[in-house]
Amino acid sequence: METWFTAVIYGLSTSGILFLVSLALSIGYGLMRIVNMEAMLYYSFGAYVTYSIVSMTGSFILGAIGATVIGGILGFVVETTLLRKVYHRNMMFTMVVTFSVFMIGIGVIQFIYGLDPKPLASPTSAIIRFMNVQIPLYRLIIIGLAVVAYILIQLLMNKTITGKALRAGIENRENVEGLGVNINRIFTTTFVIASAFAGLGGALNAPLVMVGPYMGFDMLLTAFITVILGGLGSIKGTMVAALILGQVVSVGGTIWAPLAFVGPFIVMFITILIRPTGLYGVKGTAFGFND
Amino acid sequence: MKLKNLEFLGPVFIIAGLLVSRYLFPNKITFFTEISIYTIYVMGNNILMGYMGYTSFGQPFYLSCGAYSAAIYLAYIGGNVFVAIFVAFLVGLLLSFILGPSLMRLKGSYFTLINASLCAIGVFMFERLLIDITNGNDGLWYRSNMHKTPLLDIRMPQNYFFFILIVLLAALYLYRKIDRSALGTVLKAASTNPRKMRFLGYNVFRIRWMAFTISVVFSTIAGALYSVNFGFVNPSLGENSRAIEVLLATLIGGIGTVYGPFFGALGFLGMKDFVSSFLSRWEFVVGIMTLIVLFKFNRGLWGMIQDAGSFLADTGRKFKNNSVKTAEK
Repeated sequence: METWFTAVIYGLSTSGILFLVSLALSIGYGLMRIVNMEAMLYYSFGAYVTYSIVSMTGSFILGAIGATVIGGILGFVVETTLLRKVYHRNMMFTMVVTFSVFMIGIGVIQFIYGLDPKPLASPTSAIIRFMNVQIPLYRLIIIGLAVVAYILIQLLMNKTITGKALRAGIENRENVEGLGVNINRIFTTTFVIASAFAGLGGALNAPLVMVGPYMGFDMLLTAFITVILGGLGSIKGTMVAALILGQVVSVGGTIWAPLAFVGPFIVMFITILIRPTGLYGVKGTAFGFND
Repeated sequence: MKLKNLEFLGPVFIIAGLLVSRYLFPNKITFFTEISIYTIYVMGNNILMGYMGYTSFGQPFYLSCGAYSAAIYLAYIGGNVFVAIFVAFLVGLLLSFILGPSLMRLKGSYFTLINASLCAIGVFMFERLLIDITNGNDGLWYRSNMHKTPLLDIRMPQNYFFFILIVLLAALYLYRKIDRSALGTVLKAASTNPRKMRFLGYNVFRIRWMAFTISVVFSTIAGALYSVNFGFVNPSLGENSRAIEVLLATLIGGIGTVYGPFFGALGFLGMKDFVSSFLSRWEFVVGIMTLIVLFKFNRGLWGMIQDAGSFLADTGRKFKNNSVKTAEK
């Protein structure tokens, strides 16, 4: 019983990181109709920046803030210089362009930090006892931060005028521009927020995995699965998919170790074949999937 | 007029070029073998990407299926290399027969990602599920099981190179035939406007399935050729992270062209080989090169060659006209 409870909590923290990391992909993919393969750069740069700051100052909180800022800055630079040039191109082209940027980013990381993976100690080793189960406090912090991020993004999308303009811009870009809204600036703002969250995700995941140049690579497909499973253009869907996948990885991995690796793929395979729009996906031509 | 007649000999020129380079750089023979095999692999991807407009992140899955089917045959059942390659061909047919109907109904990025997940499932299958047969990560070794073949003992690298050249020549002519046939045209038309093609009476689904079959068979045969070349396979051949390499090679060569795959394989593998010989971090340079190719020369290397050719022909014609005019004066 205790094992299962721990597995569920660990799964929830995995879900939290997955959600934070997939947000940039989800917004780029669903809302701007672009397959943004280099979104994982913010994640790996975030982890590396955290590593540097922690080894210099010893403060993990400063590291996480630094990672968030770096993620936002990178997102801003990439969106304004590169992505605007490829918004109108077809999906395959954007995929390969952003993947090349991803490779360049991996090259830059290798150039600065070298190939060896860097270990990072967990910022707090405190353990909370709850009904005979030991839960590391750090995992609970991750879950809390992910929940806060979800609430913030939902408020931004549903309660502010920026979010309303953004959702309108997804439906019909020309009309919103005709109303005098600078849709480019709104896209940039949202994108920067999402990439800042990805940087935070990298910072939070750094103590749990080895910080290596290819960590973004490993995360890329899982994040993609999260977005596809949740349905394109739906933040809520991304959250639900992250919850499901976290449990598949954690509980599935407890049942049979290889499931942690292959489980997400099987879940996606079945979901897409049964329900091609994902869990909360919108059907229609808006996302460029009409043949 | 003359150039048009010579176009028929394109594949022969490529083979001749490989043959000449093999003797110019004798210690690079494995590199040329790899280019030839990779060309077949890129051709398979080009049918999907260039003709049908489907981007697949799962090409390594088909490659490793071919490689493993040939490897398992060679390691456990028999020693005839040709039969091993034929087994890979049959596995390719079987795969496309099973997967084709569901995959060809998917659209856009769903196709891409379903293939990516197939790729991960493939690695899992060869690494964990079939560990008793494939030895997992240690790989399967069978070079000593391969029998001597008549006429040309293709166990020797220098002889295997000639065998690969023959296969490549056949593949290039087959590929050229597909490009020139109605199938190639219909595929290209169906990727721009499938509804209109359906209206014209074509069964788009069946045509796509057929092209998918050809593509998968190309990939599995390339996998079998790889496994015979190395005498060993391990699951890393089918890893997800290698899926992008073949896409890059296709784009570098020029998508939807006959000779693009060859130049793509040459450009990509050459660049990788060249960069990694003095820089251990080839990702950086390959990424920048790809961006340059994509934004500046978006028709790829073969497109560049074609442009250069037509430019030369134009200047030649102008020069000729001018000289005729001056002579008249």
